[in-house]
Order: sequence, then structure tokens, then C-alpha cells
Amino acid sequence: MASVTPLRRERRADLRAYGEPWRFAMGGALAVGVLLIAGFLLLVAWNGVSTFWPGPIAQVTLADGTLLAGEPTRSESYRPSQELLAGTPPEWRERIAAQDGFASRQLYRTGNYDLYNEDFRWVSEYEVGSVSYPAELQFFERVEWGPFVGRILRADLGGGPLEGAALEEGALREAHARARERWREIRRLERGEIGDVNREMEAERLALRRAALRFGPESEEHRALALRVEADLAALQAQYDALAARAAALRAEDQRFRVTLADVNGREKEQLLSDLTRFYPANRLSAWDGLGVYLSRWGEFLTDEPREANTEGGVLPAIFGTAAMTLLMVVAVAPFGVVTALYLREYARQGRLVSIVRISVNNLAGVPSIVYGVFGLGFFAYTVGARIDELFYPERLPSPTFGTGGLLWASLTLALLTVPVVIVATEEALAAVPRSVREGSLACGASKWQTIRRIVLPQALPGIMTGLILAMARGAGEVAPLMLVGVVKLAPELPVDGVFPFLHFERSFMHLGFHIYDVGFQSRNSEAGKPMVYVTTLLLITLIALMNATAIFVRARLKRRFAGSQF
Amino acid sequence: MVERADAALPPDRGGRPGAPAATPYVRPKATPRRVIWIDRLADWTISLGGLAVIVAVFAIMAFLVQVVVPLFVGASASAPTRYALPPIPAQHGRLLDLATDEYGTLGLEVYASGFVEIFHVPTGQRLSASALDLGAAPATAFSRTLADGHVVFGFPDGSLRFGRITTGIEVLPADAAPAGLARLSDRDATDGSAVYSALTGAQLRRVAPIVELAPPEPAAPGARAIAALDLRVGGSVERPTRAYVTVDEAGAVVLHRSDSRMNLLTRQLTTSVSRVELPAVPGLGQVAGVLLTQLADEVYLAEHDGTLHRYDVRDAAHPALAETTDLLPGGTELTSLGFLIGEQSLVAGASDGSVGVWFRVARADAGTTDGRAMVRAHALEPQGAAVLRIAPSQRSKSFLTGDATGSLWLRHATSEQVLLRLSGGVSGAVAAVSLSPRDDGVLAIDETRRAAHWRVDSPHPETTLGTIFGKVWYEGYPEPTYTWQSSSGTDLFEPKLSLVPLIFGTLKATFYSLLFAIPIALMAAIYTSEFVHPRVRTALKPTMEMMASLPSVVLGFIAALVLAPIVESRIASLLLAFLAVPLALFGSAYLWQLLPQPLALRLEGVPKLAVMFAVVGVGAAFSLAFGPAFERALFGDFRQWLTGSSGSGAPLLFLLLAPLCFLALAVAVGRGFGAVLRDRIRRLERTRAGALDGALWLALLAGALLLSGALASALAALGVDPRGGLVGTYVQRNTLVVGFAMGFAVIPIIYTIAEDAMSAVPNHLRAASLGCGATTWQTAVHVVLPTAMSGVFAAIMIGMGRAVGETMIVVMAAGNTPIMDWNVFNGLRALSANIAVELPEAVKDGSLYRMLFLAALVLFVMTFLVNTLAELVRQRFRKRAAEL
Repeated sequence: MASVTPLRRERRADLRAYGEPWRFAMGGALAVGVLLIAGFLLLVAWNGVSTFWPGPIAQVTLADGTLLAGEPTRSESYRPSQELLAGTPPEWRERIAAQDGFASRQLYRTGNYDLYNEDFRWVSEYEVGSVSYPAELQFFERVEWGPFVGRILRADLGGGPLEGAALEEGALREAHARARERWREIRRLERGEIGDVNREMEAERLALRRAALRFGPESEEHRALALRVEADLAALQAQYDALAARAAALRAEDQRFRVTLADVNGREKEQLLSDLTRFYPANRLSAWDGLGVYLSRWGEFLTDEPREANTEGGVLPAIFGTAAMTLLMVVAVAPFGVVTALYLREYARQGRLVSIVRISVNNLAGVPSIVYGVFGLGFFAYTVGARIDELFYPERLPSPTFGTGGLLWASLTLALLTVPVVIVATEEALAAVPRSVREGSLACGASKWQTIRRIVLPQALPGIMTGLILAMARGAGEVAPLMLVGVVKLAPELPVDGVFPFLHFERSFMHLGFHIYDVGFQSRNSEAGKPMVYVTTLLLITLIALMNATAIFVRARLKRRFAGSQF
Repeated sequence: MVERADAALPPDRGGRPGAPAATPYVRPKATPRRVIWIDRLADWTISLGGLAVIVAVFAIMAFLVQVVVPLFVGASASAPTRYALPPIPAQHGRLLDLATDEYGTLGLEVYASGFVEIFHVPTGQRLSASALDLGAAPATAFSRTLADGHVVFGFPDGSLRFGRITTGIEVLPADAAPAGLARLSDRDATDGSAVYSALTGAQLRRVAPIVELAPPEPAAPGARAIAALDLRVGGSVERPTRAYVTVDEAGAVVLHRSDSRMNLLTRQLTTSVSRVELPAVPGLGQVAGVLLTQLADEVYLAEHDGTLHRYDVRDAAHPALAETTDLLPGGTELTSLGFLIGEQSLVAGASDGSVGVWFRVARADAGTTDGRAMVRAHALEPQGAAVLRIAPSQRSKSFLTGDATGSLWLRHATSEQVLLRLSGGVSGAVAAVSLSPRDDGVLAIDETRRAAHWRVDSPHPETTLGTIFGKVWYEGYPEPTYTWQSSSGTDLFEPKLSLVPLIFGTLKATFYSLLFAIPIALMAAIYTSEFVHPRVRTALKPTMEMMASLPSVVLGFIAALVLAPIVESRIASLLLAFLAVPLALFGSAYLWQLLPQPLALRLEGVPKLAVMFAVVGVGAAFSLAFGPAFERALFGDFRQWLTGSSGSGAPLLFLLLAPLCFLALAVAVGRGFGAVLRDRIRRLERTRAGALDGALWLALLAGALLLSGALASALAALGVDPRGGLVGTYVQRNTLVVGFAMGFAVIPIIYTIAEDAMSAVPNHLRAASLGCGATTWQTAVHVVLPTAMSGVFAAIMIGMGRAVGETMIVVMAAGNTPIMDWNVFNGLRALSANIAVELPEAVKDGSLYRMLFLAALVLFVMTFLVNTLAELVRQRFRKRAAEL
């Protein structure tokens, strides 16, 4: 036997075979993606969570001696222009030049829009003389004009002006609580009861008009109805007058409770006590009281109506509108999506037709959402809706009922948009049902439909639910098509209320996503709206993330459940 | 065969068919009808429901098409109503003008003697006539304003007479009609002069002629006969203004302007008249007409041979003959001349049937006193016979031309299209034409007093395929352009509806966002699928998918209100980051190669990923800190540099060229003595090989920087400057920000689909490759990636579809300026954003409404093509993957 030289493996490999630089580039790309998401979510979460925390009020004495007070909101570094720099002291000029031309500035929420015509003010570092936090400064939130920063000079709690030590904080808070109660009562009267009476009067008039259109204005029916309507209207008018009188009395009572505020420079402003929604001594606030203010602000945000061009108050109507629209959408999308998925999985033979259906599904998923909006407006509102108006609501024409954007059309438009999501998820769920189960059922003599209805669908139900939840998440986040088919910046009435027929499909509605767009871009001062936008964004993202997480959870459980049942 | 499952079985179930000694059990074979029917019904319903998806896609497309089609259908006309009008005695002179009201009820003919003949347009029935007392001589010149029917007559003795000839319209309750009306048609009845039309809702419309005449204006001493006249009336009720220009038979042109001021207490008008004599034109031929602009700052004087003289009267003290030009080619005569609405565009009709639209534009080489020149912007299709009459529309740039053979063409100046060719209504030379104020009726009278009336529907005269996708020469623009400007403050505004800038905006936003998204998404997908532990993958993937479901309105808000200001103040850091982060990654990779093999192997996985995260973070922090220094070193002040006021184009060229130079050098070195080097490196021990490799990389990098520096200064010296092209003036909401935000929206989509495609590559391929001794890197690049290529392609296509249609981000962060400009630092307006912004305000079935539907259709078709392609590729990929 010849001696065999043992094969010596070359231990060294070409570095290129490992592609280390490119692997780092790829890993870096992944890192960039993940860091972007993380940064984005942190930004939204931090701003959203911290917005409602009551900060202290700083009293800033500027270098030129002027005083201003406000809540410091954020600071940034910026590049002052040459003209600005020319007016600064030389030592600051040097310092700024040393910082590559960057100076820092602080944004103060000074409030008092009615006095200053602005409610935010940037203060550059070189302008500041000194900063203090006087204990007597308070932060007042008002129904109108935004917040007021200053202190209470005197108050009239119904028994003449009180000042200084005579004005007890406890008494003031108690009077304020009562004033707010009164304010809510007035609003309930004016919006609720008087609104109801107005609505009934309008209904009577419309009934009369309808009769005129149906039977002719000279007919017997019309004349009889006209008499009755006249009597009803008189009765309603009496009710209206009574309610209006009650509201007026309350208002007169309300006028007696006043408070006079003064800003940091002593400019006075008299205010109805009931027009203050909340006030607190920002610099004397304990953490516990701060938490109270914080929670009460969240409470207001979640349960109240918007004020001041949506930049203050709450978003209840938007939450409500989003929920109503999304639920209605699910009702519309579920049958369509499930039937299509059943067709693709259970009925169709693989072939060209199925391939075309799949292409269509993907196209439905890929068509820009704004195109759905255009279609919804043109087809649902202007074509179908206009026909419905002609047939069922001729008395209201020419003002449209269904012939314009509204809840129903928005839901149907979004249903079209989200069908592919449901189809894909349902298909997945159907595929997960083992073949053997189906064959067993068929072997027992069940018909195909019986198999599907009794065996397949119940097993696939969690998967279908996943699809529906994902569709809801997608639908809740869409804004562009809604801008065309029924979302408004301020809806006077909710789409669901206690007035027959309870569900008002034709009404336009508010939406969280559109609220973000509207407040961030359409309001007089995007700075004043920013806190609101952040909080709304946080709410919307949380909602969507919750829905997605639920879907992912359900899907994971589904997989586990069926993992064992494969034969 | 479906059988009933719950059929009751007899107790002796052992009875198998064919078994002896047992009574054979006959199973009921019939399935209940109900079950069969329900099954069949389900069959049908589900099949139909499945196909409904196809129907839905095509229904959307068909609906959009159906809304869009009317844009391209010119105009339509009813069959003409023909009638002969009663003859007019010859002493009334020639027919000066014909007017109709906006409901096509009354026709008013004005004759030189002041005679006004009034007839019912739908039937031709004569209603009444009023003879204005103009004195002895018939008028030699006449002018009537387009709106409100102010008229002026000029006489042989040089005197003028103002008045008003128009119709008054009021809506009355049905019972306000006077008794004894004579029926004219189903709709109309008359009391002899006014016409009453029944409306729906128990109302009546009364249309009555208004014929008024002011006292005569005495002629100036020594005045000659007026040859031509033009009148403009404007101003408010408190301050009416009137301007008119006269040309006498000797060719003297005089402009009069009268401003009246109403005393608010006494309601008395005090009028001041200014008279400006314009410079005479030497050798003036026969005057064909004179025209005056609305602001009375320009006077156009045309001769019969087509010579046009333009006076500049902006400065009334120094009127000047600005320009003389020839409207017609030689040998033809000017047979008609008129303004279009807005009094900017001139229409000239010639004896050879040609029709041209002229207006003045600012030109550097105009050679005129005011730096502007008349241009024939539109040469319209010639008509075949001399164009005798022109009637402009009162609501668009449409106008009607009537020729010597009696045919009438409805044209549109800007779109250059002939909307309607009406012939067979009148047969002789056209004596008068009228286009009704709502563009919905045409009335023509020929020399033999035969008349014809058409009802016309011309909803979208301004749009053709050419105007939407081609360059259009709009009034007052120096040259044909692509412009989108759908609305403006004034009534006379002409909408400019070209989709090209919007399509450009969409493509620009898509391009820049994909430029950002594709590398990051694909590289991240490869890394996730091939190089990380499955457990890490299950954590990473849902995170990225979650990002896909972020509402785009949130991204848009963050991009516009948070990102845009930061990018604006930190632009240099951002530019530096594009260099620094990749360099940091590559650099750390070469450092990593220095690690001894066992340690490197132990750190493979999560620690390595953590290092990468850290490197990216360090790179970003470095860019943030050294951005200003970087800016000062290269550009001075970047934003000032962008405007082009300082420095040369070299710094940016250097930055752009550096990666290219590096690539070129790397390839050159690899081709040249790469094999030798690689051999050398291969023979070394790992750490030293790593060191040599790193040194080589550093050398390449230095070489590339030097090379690109040299190239950049050479190019800059040659005058190449990226400013004004790729980069330019900085706007806060710009394409860079949009590309960022939209890339952010697109990354998870491309990432997820590409990652799915790569994960779907069967594992036995990987196993085989690794088994042959390939490294994971070699497997990923040479086995997995080629196999998954079609899936990766589909991912890019789908991402592109999403970017094309993304709406909220572009609405909020793109600035919405419809300009065509590749500048990264400028804004854009995308198709989708345009729809979202303008459709809520668009009037249903108007041109803008249909144009926005066309924009939606374009988006639909674009994404349809992209998605269908992607899906076809993906289906092929799935089939191939299943076969492997």
C-alpha cells in the first residue's frame, strides 16, 4: 500500500467569502429601519403622554426689562439671522459664533390670546435677564380664547367683590364647581332640549312639504295637514319659549359670578367664573395635585367635545365617529371578503380565472386609497345617493340627504378598500383547516355547503376575526378617502343618538385621523394645536396598535391550535 | 353524490349488500330537496361573490372612465330651428349687431338708423320694434360691450350717442302674469314686448327688452365722421368708469376716459372726462376696426390689409405707438376682428377663412417700446370661406365664427379645437351671429334674412387630450407651458388644467422615496432572512409590519411639523449622515475582520447586530455634531450656496461623485491586480489578512476622494453646476422631507414582501449550498437572492404602487406647488394630493371635477399596471418555488 498523504485542508478562507462589509451594510440598514421606528414611536409616545402634565409657570424678565410669564414647552437650537445677531450684546455674539452660529431658545406658552394676539412666544437665550417661578401665578383654562396665565385679582361670588385675604380658595373652588354645573345645565338646555324642539319643528315642516309634493299644494290632504302642523308648531313654539326663558334665567344667574384676572404685567381681564374650565396654581402644585390635573385633562380629552377650532377640549365625537364608521365598515366588508375567500379556497378550480381573481384582489389592495374616495364620492354619494334622495327625501331637496358624503358612504368606500385584507386573512384561515376534517364530513354524507357551514367556517372563525380586526385597523387609519366622502372638521350631531331612527347613516362625522390633519394644518396656530395633535396621534396609534396586536395574538393562537390537528 | 347523513339506520346494520341470509337494507338514496337546493344556491352565490371582485375592479375603472369621457367630447347641438325673419326697410341701413338673452328667448337686432327689431328666438316670431331717435343721419360706427349691453353710436358729424340695448330678466310668481298673453310656444307667451316663460315651482320668468338712449354727446368743433369705435364700461356703482376710443375718417385716433364719482349724500354723479389724442399712423389705410382693453391701457387699430397698430396708453400723458405688426399673410384681407372675453386675446378672421388668435407677451427681443410683442399664439383650423362675423363667449375662451357660405364654427381659442361645425342652418353669407351668454345657444342671420337657432351644449370646451397632456399657450404666457392652476380670484380667469406637472410631482416623490426606501428595505430584508437567529426574526418582523399599518396622516404630520424644521436647520448634518453612516458601517466591518476567528464566531448573532446598531447610532451622532463644521468647510452657508449666489458647484459634485469614483476605482483595482492581491490575502492568517484588506479599503477610499475632488473641480471649471437642476433654492416643505416620510411608509411594505419571498426559498437549497462549502454570505448572494428575485421585484413594484398613491404625506409635507423642477429642496404637488385638496370644492360635473376624476383614473391605471405586473411575477415565483 502506498503511503497516502493526508489531505491538508486549507484553513484559511478568502475574506471575500464572508462579505463582511456588505453584511455590515445590510445589518446597518436593518438598524436604521428599526431605529427610525423606535424613534418615531418614542417621539409620539413621549409628546403624547407628557402633554397633559401641568408644568410650572416661569416668569421671565428679559434683558430689556419686559416681563412675561408662561409655561415653558420646548427648547431648540436655531441659527439666528445676521440681522438678529446685530442686535445682541457682543459677548453673546462671540458665544454664538463659537457654537457654529447656533443659539438656543425656549418656547413659552404665554396664553392670554385676547390680550397679546399670540399665545406662544420664543425667547432666545441672549434675551433672558432672569427667570423666576412666583407662587401666585396660576394657569387658567378657559372656554374661549385659550388659556390665561396670571393671577386672581378679585372675584365676585354673587355677594360683591372679594379681594386679598377675603377671597378664600376653598370658597372660590366651590363656587367654580357650581358655576361649571350651571354652565353644563345651560348647554344641556340649549343643545339638548331646545335642539329637540327645533328638530321636531323642522320635521313638521318637512312633513308638510312632503304632502305638498305628493298630493299637490291645493289638495284636501295637504290642507288638513297644514292645519294640524300649524297647531303643532304653535305648541312647540310655546315649549321653545319656556325652555328659552329657563336658559335665559340661568344665564342671568351665571352673570353674577365673575372673577377678575391679571397678567404678569397687571393687565386686567374680567371673566365669567363659568367660562373657566380649570385653574391651578402651577408653581405650588404637589405631584399628587399635578396628577389630578393630568387625569382630569385626560378625562376631558376623552369625554368632551372640541372647542376653539378643535385645538382644545376633547375628541369624543371623533372617537365616536371613527368607531361608528369602522364598525359599519366591518358589517359591510365581512360577507364580501368571506365569500370571495370561500370561492378562492373551496369552490374555484385553479386556473386562469382564479389567477384573474387574485390579480383583481391585489389590485384592490394596491389601488391608492384616494381613488376609492373619488369613486365613493362620484358613485355612492352623487349617483346612488342622489337617486335615494329623489325617491325618498324629495321634500328636503335641493339640500342633499344621502346625495353627499356621509357615514354610510364612507363605510362602504372603506369596505371596498379593506376587502383584500379580509380575503387574504380568511384564505389563510381556510387553508389552515385540515383537509381530513373536510373529507371526514363529506364522507359522512354532508353536502359541500353543510361541510363549509358546520365544519370549516367554525374552525376558520378566529382567522376570519383576525382579518376583520386587521381591516378595522386599516380602516381606522385611512384619512384621504374620508376627506372626500363625509368627514368634517366639526360635526354638530353624532351619527348615533336618541332620535328616531337612532342610526343616522346620512350624517357627516368626525374622525381621529382627519382631526390630526385638521388641527395640525388648518387651525390658526399650528403651535397651539400641536399638543392636541400629539395626544390624538397617540390615541389613534394606540387604537390601531391594539387592534393589530389582537390580530397577531389571535393568529398565533390559531396556528398553535391547528398545529396539532394535522393528520 | 351527496347523501343524507342523518338518515335513520335500521337496527341490523350488519346488512352488507351481497351478504347472504340478511334482508338487504335499502338506504334511502334521496337527499332532501332542501339540502340540494341550498347547496346549489351556495354554489352560485359564492361563485358569483368571488367573481364580484373582478367586477368591482372593473366597475371602478368603468365608472371613472364614464365620468372622464365628456371632457373629450367637443360639443353637441340640436337640429336647427329655421325661419325667415320679416324684411327690414332699406332706410334703416345695415345690421350692426345681434344680441340674445341668457335663456335664448329674445333676439335684438340693431340697425344703423337706431331701429331695434325684437323677435322670439325659438320661433322667429316678431314681437315688437323700437326705433331709437338718432337724428337724421344713420350711424357710421357702433360698439356694444359684451356684458350688460352698453352701446355707443358714432355719426358722420363726429358726434356720439350712448345707450343700452339688452334684456332685463326677472322671476315672478305665477299669478303675476298679465292677462291676455299670446302663446308663442309650449313654454313662452308674450304680451307684445316682454316674454313670459313658465318655470317649475309655480314661477314665471319675464324677459323684456331694454332699449335706452342717453342725450347726444356734442361733437368737438372740426370733428370728422367716425369710422370705428370701441367702448368699455367698468368700475363700481359708486365710481362708474367709461372708456372709448374713436377713429375718424382721416385716421385720427382719440381715447376718451370718463371717471364718475357719486356723491354719497346727494347720489349725484360728477363726471370727469379726459381726452388723449394718440399719435397718428402715417399712411394709414382703410380702418377695419379699433379695439380697447378693459383697463383702457392699450388700443389696437387694424387696417383692412391686416396691419395692426398697437398703442401703449398706460401713461395717458405720453401715449405711444408701441408696435405695428401684420396679422395676415399677403394677399388676404381682414374680414373680422374681435376680442375674446377678458379683452386680451384678439381674434382675426380673414378672407381666406383663416382664423388666428393673437395676444401680447413680454419678450426680451420684442424690439418694441414697451418690451412686449404681439404673437399669433393659436392658428386655428381655417374655415374654407371668408370669416365674416365673430361672436365671443361670455364665460370661456370659446367663440363663434360665421363665414360667407353660411357655416358657423364654434371654436375654443386655448385648446385650438373646433367644438361644433354648424352648417345648413343659413345658406347665404352670415350677416350677424350671436352666442348666447351661457354658451348654450347659437343664433345666426344671413344676408337674405333667413335665420337659424341651435341649442348647444358645450360643457368642457377647454379640454382635449392635447391640453391635458401637452403644452398649452395660455393667454399672456410667453410660451406654451404645462400648467396646473385650477382656480383664481377673478371671474375672467381661465383654468389651466394640465396633468403633466401633477404626474411629474407624483413621479418625483415616488423616485426620491424609493431611492431612500429600496436600499434600506431590501438590505434589511436580506439580513433578517439570512443572517439573524429565527428568534430575533420573530421579534423584528412584526415590528416592521406594525410600521406598515401606521396611519399615513401621522407620518405626514410628523414629517411636516417636526421633521421639516429640523431638516431645515440641520441640513448639513443630514448630508453628512448620508456619507458618514455607510462609511462607519464599512469601516467597522473592516475592523471586525481584524478580530480573531474564534472570537468573531462567538460574537456572531445578537452581539454583532448590537454592534451594528451602535455604529449606526455613532454615525448619526457624529453627523449631528460635525454637520456645521462640514457645512462651513464645503459650502460656507449651505442655503445661501444653494441659491447660487456664492461658491462654485464643486462641493456638491464632489459629494455626488465620491461614491461613483469609489465604485470605479474598486472595479478597476479588482480587474487589474485584484487577483494577485486576493491570492496574497488568502495566503495570510486571518487577522493579518483583515489588516491588509482594511488597508486596501482605506487606500481605495483615499484614492476615490482625491479622484472625485479632482473631477469635481475640473467639472466645475468647465461650468457644470448642479444648482438650478438637481438642487436649488431651499423650501421648508420639500421633496427631501417627502422622500423621507414616504420612504418610511414604503420601507415596511417592501421589507415584508421581500423577506417573505426570501424565506419562501426552500431550505434544501440552502442546505445544499452550505454543504458544498459555501459560506452563508455566498449562499445568500448566489443561491437565495437569485431564486427569490422575482419576489423581490414584486416587492419593489408593490412598494412603488403604494408610493404613487400615497396621499396624506404629500398633502401635508410637500408644499403642494405644481411646478416641474427636479430640485430636491423644492416642493411638489402629486396627483393624489391634488385630488384630496381640490375635489371637495369642485362643482359636480364641471371641468375641474372631471379633471380630478381623470387624475384618479391616471393613478388607477398607473397602479393597476404596476400591481398586475407584480402579481404576475409573484405568481410565477410561487409556482417556481413550489417546483424547487
